[in-house]
Amino acid sequence: MPNGLRIILLLTPGLGLVMTLMIWVLYRAFAQSFGLYNFNGDDLLTLSHWQGMFQNRRYWNALEWSGYIAVVSATLAVAVAYPLVIWLRRPFKGSFLLSALIKAPYFVPGLVAAFLLINVISYHGFVNEFLIWIGVWDQPVRMQNDKNGYAIIGLQVWKQLPLAFLLLSGAVAAIPDNVLHAAQDLGAGTWDRFRKVVLPMTVTAMQASLILIFIGAAGDFTFQAVAGPTRENSLATLMVTYQGASYSDWNGAAVIGVTLMVLSLLGSIVFAALVQIVAKLMERV
Amino acid sequence: MLRKLIMSTALLGLTSSAVLADDVLLSMSWEDIVAQAKEEGSVTWYQWYFEPEFRVVVEAFEAEYGIEVSIPDVSSVDDAINKMMAEQDLETGDIDLMSFNGSSGLRLTPSDLLTGPIQPILPEGESLETFVEGADWEEYAVQFWGNQTCLAYDPDRLSADDLPDTFVEFEAWIAENPGQLGFNFENGGSGPSLIHNIARGILGVAQADTLAETPDLQPVYDWFIENEDNYILTASNADSLSRFNSGEFIMIATWEDFIAGNINRGEVSDRFECYVPEFGLNGGGNVVGVAKNAANPAAALVLASWLTSAETQTMFNTDFGTSTANGQADSSAALVPDEDRANKTVWGDPLPDTDVVPAVIENVFQR
Repeated sequence: MPNGLRIILLLTPGLGLVMTLMIWVLYRAFAQSFGLYNFNGDDLLTLSHWQGMFQNRRYWNALEWSGYIAVVSATLAVAVAYPLVIWLRRPFKGSFLLSALIKAPYFVPGLVAAFLLINVISYHGFVNEFLIWIGVWDQPVRMQNDKNGYAIIGLQVWKQLPLAFLLLSGAVAAIPDNVLHAAQDLGAGTWDRFRKVVLPMTVTAMQASLILIFIGAAGDFTFQAVAGPTRENSLATLMVTYQGASYSDWNGAAVIGVTLMVLSLLGSIVFAALVQIVAKLMERV
Repeated sequence: MLRKLIMSTALLGLTSSAVLADDVLLSMSWEDIVAQAKEEGSVTWYQWYFEPEFRVVVEAFEAEYGIEVSIPDVSSVDDAINKMMAEQDLETGDIDLMSFNGSSGLRLTPSDLLTGPIQPILPEGESLETFVEGADWEEYAVQFWGNQTCLAYDPDRLSADDLPDTFVEFEAWIAENPGQLGFNFENGGSGPSLIHNIARGILGVAQADTLAETPDLQPVYDWFIENEDNYILTASNADSLSRFNSGEFIMIATWEDFIAGNINRGEVSDRFECYVPEFGLNGGGNVVGVAKNAANPAAALVLASWLTSAETQTMFNTDFGTSTANGQADSSAALVPDEDRANKTVWGDPLPDTDVVPAVIENVFQR
């Protein structure tokens, strides 16, 4: 039996099942976006659902908003993770506890965190009451559902930081001490050691972090629904809205779902390419 | 007796292998349907709100008929409808009796999903409504829950004498009290009702008018944009109410039964009042229908009958603050004053909310 065929046969029971299920789901979403699997009427192969969405301002706003939240969240999470990873690169007293605290958000469901945040920053929440009490302002300020999405970006960074931390810490810890010492001996300062040694040697981990966080944040439903600005939709919340009884537009929702998948794919490719370009540029500067 | 026994046995045989055909069920006498329901012995009712309360409410039904009622937790009406649609091609689905918000009938074909028409065979069918929130359920579903959108206010901060009643007074009030009116535009119909009736107010459309076509909505968009600082958009009905209860707003758009239910459970202050202004707010209700592929169709039908009976509707009015859905029921215990009922408007014509609300969202709130 040819070697290639043997490998395929060996992989088929596991990978084959996964691929079949994935492809079936993707096919259903794509087909539904073109009018097939229509729950509300007859199946009709058509571009009208895509055309309808392309003319819908809410669709473009949601696409822009999801892209914005995903890019900012992924970049900030990695930017915050890097100094922490470098600081905790070698063990010291208390570093284990610090490391555990950084990973703690993984164990808190996002929905719980979002509601906790809302409670704290609400009109008569702790923050407002405290700041009034100490005289910073006279009356409560509306911070809930802020229009710039700072709350959801904060939640995303908080929630995704452990992922970036775990991926980057392995890569940073693998850099031999003597490489960093050699760079230092040759006159490289902290910043130079970071951009000319650490960054190039951890670029793969950084790419993985950025891509995974980007995909997670682009597809966010929970944070947007609870803490996001009411005047914005993420693609996921808009998709659910169109599936709902107010619209019952499953084909339109499928268009949004496919768009979300395309955004994740394209965003990942762009992020991966940008990281390579930036890393090379920083080496040269 | 022998006839009932033969009929019941025959029907039991039918239902054991396949779904009871519509025409067989619908051609039976009410006594035979009740007998068949008792044979079935159980019914699953998909009801998306107040599930814990309804589990208590149906104990009276269980005691009367000996039919066990199962009310699973349902996250939303959308999820329940989606499940029903996904199961519509199955021979037997999980759902026997299904609750819908009235307006969902605008986007569904009742005969595709439901057994019927059921209204003619319900003992009190003549006192019930099948045209709800602008949707014609074609007698496949009947209203079991009456609700009214209203403006809830805090009497400690706004006297009943100072309530804005006409649209002009309402405009003046929000201008004098910026940021003190909260309403949602999705995740619940109370805000959309306000948006809908503001649009009618701006365009001068009265409930009795007939419009050949939807007028230009630009003045409506302009009004919402000009008044953007005067109102606060909330995330949902629940968000409006919790922020109102915390004192963030003086006035919110809400549902009468929603706030009454929360007051009854002690979750919000019992000092809150609500009213329907002269410029109108939509009233409507929720309907129940028997799933086309119900495993226990007769029991579902009997439960639908019990829920819509004058006696049960009077109890809903007292315990939940609903407006009654049966013309023979007593509706004197509701939160909205009786005189305000005359201000009730409907979701559909003139100027259907389906034309107004999505357009306002796209051109104003999420422009």
